[in-house]
Amino acid sequence: MYIFKDALRSIGRSRGRNILIGIIIFVIAVSSCVALSIGEAAGQAKENGMEQLEITAQIMMNRQAMMSGQEDRESMRDALMNMEELSLEEMQQYAKSDDVKSFYYTISASLNAGEGLEAVDVSGNSDSEEDTSQESGQAEQSARTQAEAQGAAPAQEPGFDNNGNMQDAAAGGPDEGMRGGRMGMQGDFTVTGYSSDEAMKDFLNGNSSISEGSMFDENDQENQCIISSELALYNDLDVGDTVTLANPNDEEETYTFTISGIYENKETSDSAGSMMGNFSPAFYAANQIYTSYENISAVAETSQAGAEVTTDENTGMEFSTAIRSQVNGTYTFASMEDYEAFKEETEEKLGEYYTVTSNDVTSYEQSLLPLENLSRYAAWFLAIVLVIGGIILAVLNIFNIRERKYEIGVLAAIGMKKWKIAAQFILELLCVTFLSVILGTGVGAVSSVPVTNQLLKRQIASVETVSEEREQNFGRMPGNGFQKDQMDGAPGMGGGPMGGFGMGGGTAAQEPGNPAANYISQVSSATNFNVVLQLIGIGILLTVVSGCVAIVFILRYDPLRILSSRD
Amino acid sequence: MSILKLENVSYRYADGGKPVLNHISYEFEKGKVYSVVGRSGAGKTTLLSLLSGLASPTEGTILLEGNDIEQIDRYEYRSRYVGVIFQSFNLLPKLTAMENVILSMDISGKKQKNKKERAAKLLEKMGLSGDEMTRRILKLSGGQQQRVAIARALSYDPEIILADEPTGNLDGETQKEMIEIFRRLAHEEQKCVILVTHSPEVAKASDEVYEL
Repeated sequence: MYIFKDALRSIGRSRGRNILIGIIIFVIAVSSCVALSIGEAAGQAKENGMEQLEITAQIMMNRQAMMSGQEDRESMRDALMNMEELSLEEMQQYAKSDDVKSFYYTISASLNAGEGLEAVDVSGNSDSEEDTSQESGQAEQSARTQAEAQGAAPAQEPGFDNNGNMQDAAAGGPDEGMRGGRMGMQGDFTVTGYSSDEAMKDFLNGNSSISEGSMFDENDQENQCIISSELALYNDLDVGDTVTLANPNDEEETYTFTISGIYENKETSDSAGSMMGNFSPAFYAANQIYTSYENISAVAETSQAGAEVTTDENTGMEFSTAIRSQVNGTYTFASMEDYEAFKEETEEKLGEYYTVTSNDVTSYEQSLLPLENLSRYAAWFLAIVLVIGGIILAVLNIFNIRERKYEIGVLAAIGMKKWKIAAQFILELLCVTFLSVILGTGVGAVSSVPVTNQLLKRQIASVETVSEEREQNFGRMPGNGFQKDQMDGAPGMGGGPMGGFGMGGGTAAQEPGNPAANYISQVSSATNFNVVLQLIGIGILLTVVSGCVAIVFILRYDPLRILSSRD
Repeated sequence: MSILKLENVSYRYADGGKPVLNHISYEFEKGKVYSVVGRSGAGKTTLLSLLSGLASPTEGTILLEGNDIEQIDRYEYRSRYVGVIFQSFNLLPKLTAMENVILSMDISGKKQKNKKERAAKLLEKMGLSGDEMTRRILKLSGGQQQRVAIARALSYDPEIILADEPTGNLDGETQKEMIEIFRRLAHEEQKCVILVTHSPEVAKASDEVYEL
């Protein structure tokens, strides 16, 4: 007990030295608190976000895996042409897994305007049918995200997933004529049929809303549909009117839909959304027509039944007059664990040519990138602070012990055991450390949120600058949604390898015109009990490390020699 | 029966060096004042270091009540059995006179009630005023520091009192007072008092004198 008492008295007796040690530990504590808080904030943001994130996933075909198993280009082409896509029934079968919370699906078809109807065309081309059918893959890839934003099936051509692997949506359904070379024409409208409200992402997240009339019944089989307010205005259409849509491959084949509602879509008025329509009216948000799955499925079946298939003599490719359509199934999961279990189980069952991917998880992880980069940087900073701080403290402690050599000699000479002397010295250091850590934690806690947000802002700016520069190097407009690069590190941050092209099919949450990712740019609280505990641990660690130096010196001292040399 | 006994004790500072003490055998009993005298360099302070447990003999044994002190915990021996008054006092300069005395009591681990009161009494007995007791050591004169050193040595009531030139810094009158204190400790409180000294007065006042 007297050791503790003497330690406290000794602190008071050597104020100057202890204030100096206290300031150093205070600086270490503040730095450590901020660094740990950044790490904690990143961890919490990820955890909380994951809890709130609705995880959706799709079963995709892994074309890359399929191609890598082939010997030459010919066999690769054959393999790709003969890909066995999953049918809706198969997708529904996998949806029975206990891990799946719910399953919904959409079918999208490309249709032309029938009599009395004209697509909203922002491209300035009147012969959109001709032009759009010739559009390159790049245009379709960018435009695809527009349709995907509504939860619709992606365009048919092979795409790349977020990992840069060539993949394709494992679409199936009535339109089997879309495989390989059996290509059809691109229509003016994308008509999407939904299995449930859950599939209508834009209506769920508020991007779209019914402004007139009502939503079609998801079980409707009487060709009810909703159209955009822009399309309604352009064609002077009202609720209750009918619209006629035609097969782009056979203008004689028409289908009539009754307008049950008109919706407003925020996308139709923004410039980026308009730009997508430059490539094809079908990709312009105003030309998206929504109906029930049953209706489009029936249209596709009818079209398929009456389709003519011809073979090009020169190329040997087949051409079908059936309407282009694609079914896309989406699985939702209650937790990350469920998603991972489903992914593992399903991929094992389906083999190497299929993969389960979730754009939600990828997008969310991407949004955390600056925060995680900052967290990594903070961890290095913490390590450096601790090493340098530890060395400074150890050196100070050595000076302290040497300065108090006589005191140690006297205490040992009058019978105080060396371990008790060492304990007293460590206690002194511990008290100073404890006080400094408390003050440092307080200051660190107050400053950690603004400091973290400020650093995060710089980190995001750095990531975005690099991303934009890269886009410009490719001659693209930054943020136009063509390229969704993932940055895994900013300059000087020791980042990892660059992410692949983020152009995968499925229901990507990204929208054209938006930044590559919605980065987490703010943290509200960072210092918690866990951080305080870690800081206390750091304090004890520093005390023990520098205290060990003291112990070594004290144990080496011989009281008789100390006292004799003083005499 | 002797409380402390040196049996054929030799000490040399380096292996193979000239011995400072050579085959010495002394016996010390309770209730007596002993003086160890000798010329400078005869090994008086070395003998005191051996007796206080700060050094170990290179040859021979030192027995405490028949037990070899090499077998006893040195720190316990120094903090409980012997009270040492060093020639240069070896007080802690940042502590007050009172704190120095109380610290020794704490270190001894002996259960003593009212340590502060006991320390004050001892210091008062040594002639320090209340004000002097609360002064830091460096603010006391050499004589006052020596009194504090004696009070510290007595504070935990050891059986043996060792003093290295205890009257070296004192005037004639105070020397007499100190000698009287040591004699009283031996004769009235049955302590074994061993004084290492140059002073003929001190040697003369002792019950027994060993010459190195």
